Amino acid sequence: MSMDLNLIKRGTEGELKMNGYIDASNAAEIEKIIVDLVAQFDTLILDMEKLEYVSSAGLRAFRHAYMDMRQKHGLLEAKNVSSSVMEVFEITGFTRLFKFI
Amino acid sequence: MERLLIPAKIDYLDEVTGFVERYLDESGCPEKTKLQIRLAMEEVFVNIVSYAYAPEDGEAEVRFETLNEPFSIRIQFMDSGKQFDPLAKEDSDTSEEAILSRPGGMGILLVKSVMDDVQYSYSGGKNILTLYKKL
Repeated sequence: MSMDLNLIKRGTEGELKMNGYIDASNAAEIEKIIVDLVAQFDTLILDMEKLEYVSSAGLRAFRHAYMDMRQKHGLLEAKNVSSSVMEVFEITGFTRLFKFI
Repeated sequence: MERLLIPAKIDYLDEVTGFVERYLDESGCPEKTKLQIRLAMEEVFVNIVSYAYAPEDGEAEVRFETLNEPFSIRIQFMDSGKQFDPLAKEDSDTSEEAILSRPGGMGILLVKSVMDDVQYSYSGGKNILTLYKKL
């Protein structure tokens, strides 16, 4: 499975457009990219409009990003979350980790 | 009944999910249901890969068949690894503190939530997890 990521920079704010799938085969790679972005920006917006699928392996990436962002008192925001991905967030309580905009 | 026998290695994830997805595509299954089935299959297969044989290697068998009235699919995962009932544990705590205190444990909760029924049995030296979903 594959994933395309596109970053828009607006000063201390970054917006990452996610397109594709996060599953057990690519989650570690995506985790590293998102965590690097959390280190670079005070606010990171994840645009999930084209993120079609997340499994528990992908949730670990978001958990790591949230913990790092909380530590530096930054903001992790999510927008345009598809219904399939939102279902995964709702079942697991991960809706608590994002500010939905 | 369709069968697939593959090494219990993460490299085979797409083969496992694709095995059922090809059928679902042909049958005109709604996208949401397809993604739910894919999710459940990934979580079950990843558990087998991670725990059933570690640190040794082993194989997993996947079978599926469709049923009528109501039209539905039954998917079975089998492994000959350590005897383990993934349904025996209580559901994972989904509070913020619990999520942050430990990294995993969400897979089986997702499987139970998106499937209509999940059952475990141990027979003939095999762990058998049966997933059932209306199509």
